[in-house]
Amino acid sequence: MRLLFFFILLFGQCTLCLESSAHESQPGTLEIRERADQRYELTWRAPIYYGGPHPARLELPELWRDTIVPEEKLLPDSQVFRRVVALDGKGVDGSIIRFPGLEKTITTVFVRLIRLDGTSTTEVVRPTLPSVRLRGERPANVAAFEYTGLGFYHILQGIDHLLFVLGLLLIVKGRMMLVKTITAFTVAHSITLGIATLGYASVPLAPLNAAIALSILFLGPEIVRSWRGQSSLTIRYPWMVAFLFGLLHGFGFASGLTTTGMPQAEIPLALLFFNVGVEFGQLAFVFTALALVPSFTILEVHWPRPVTALPGYVVGSLGAYWTIQRTVILLGVV
Amino acid sequence: MKRSFSPYWLLLPVVSMVAVILHPVRAAAHLVTTGMGPVYDGIGHLLLTPEDLIIALALALYGGLLGTTHGRHALFLVPAAWFVGGLFGMQTAPLPDFPVAALSFLLLGLLIAADLRLPLSAFTITAVAVSLTHGFLNGIALKSGPAGLGLIGITAALFILVTLVSALVVSLRPPWSRIAVRVMGGWVAAVGVLMIGWFVRGNMA
Repeated sequence: MRLLFFFILLFGQCTLCLESSAHESQPGTLEIRERADQRYELTWRAPIYYGGPHPARLELPELWRDTIVPEEKLLPDSQVFRRVVALDGKGVDGSIIRFPGLEKTITTVFVRLIRLDGTSTTEVVRPTLPSVRLRGERPANVAAFEYTGLGFYHILQGIDHLLFVLGLLLIVKGRMMLVKTITAFTVAHSITLGIATLGYASVPLAPLNAAIALSILFLGPEIVRSWRGQSSLTIRYPWMVAFLFGLLHGFGFASGLTTTGMPQAEIPLALLFFNVGVEFGQLAFVFTALALVPSFTILEVHWPRPVTALPGYVVGSLGAYWTIQRTVILLGVV
Repeated sequence: MKRSFSPYWLLLPVVSMVAVILHPVRAAAHLVTTGMGPVYDGIGHLLLTPEDLIIALALALYGGLLGTTHGRHALFLVPAAWFVGGLFGMQTAPLPDFPVAALSFLLLGLLIAADLRLPLSAFTITAVAVSLTHGFLNGIALKSGPAGLGLIGITAALFILVTLVSALVVSLRPPWSRIAVRVMGGWVAAVGVLMIGWFVRGNMA
């Protein structure tokens, strides 16, 4: 397992890089609020991108005409455009809104449609497909596919979640224990993901993020102990630790789902398939990481001994860094 | 974590990668934006650009075909040379159109198909030269996008890809499996010939 060190090094590098560029990947938002029949107020918030105006423009369907002069406001972190449009007899559902220029960026845009009756839906627009079709009802298979993708992307973007899983992989000994540990983590995060999404419980984001970072920090010394041949409760029962911390990580996953503002009717479907997506992403990561170990063995790669100790230190160091960083944010020091 | 394993388990991530690659998305010849940040853009760039992906796979296949030592060299040399090439590429203006990928396809495809037993030094020179060239072209493309972070993503993806594929090929025991790898090399060479043909025809038109 220690032969994963290089993977971790790259992973750590990537993480720090992602950290450093985090402010450039602020999402944009478009809020479409129904004010009266066939009349909508649009608020398009484009984040400042590398110190300048965002390259993406808002392109509305041809039939949408402005009823007031569009307004524009410059904030420290974004440009806000406000428009009020009339739709001339055609419903909003099925209309396509484009964001030309988004494909050149790393920005995700959340498009939120709020109707007169208070119901709302949110669509996610990514640079890979910089347009969105506003929807009313949609087929279950389309929604399922979208939520699966959302879950898959969410776990792959959640470097902290992946690092925790990697930490577990480095501690676990034996195939059966590995299955038990991964299953425990899955069951635990599924429980809290469900509880949070259904609205039975919620955890404020700042302390939650700090606690997730702490879970990674916790694994660092355990990996080193395992590497030295020592034993501890975590090393003997990694599935238990995976379950306990998995409960925390589930709340973290829930934030990725609840921000989509899914319609009430889609919640069970969203919950199921978002979780399926998370599982796919997690398994892809686990299988890739596990496959590297026999690959190194087959290719007779012999890492220097000091290097084999790196995984624990990298996981622990990153865990410590995030814990301090997120605690500082939590306490409002910066 | 010591445990016995069947090398065929390595097929799982490789097949998964192929499935992901074959998943119908927009073909991307130049920059790829995943919306997941510059590192992922780099990974996406490699996985969704056939001119780079097939070359990386071909280098890994050939290294594995030549044995453990060559495969091990490939796993370190290919990502490192690609990265260095990328750094140079990011300092350079775009170059005139030249069928570099096609020539790489043809060269590596023929080497694999012929199962030519190159000595380690010759293999090293070939792998480094091809990786430097493709890394250089990637660097030019990445300059206007994810830049250095994208290059790190590409390097990480290459390391994993080359490790898995080289190890898989080294672990192949049945004679027919080596023939299957050589057949793949034939396909790569054929694609190279087609690409050269298109390039020549395009220039003559």
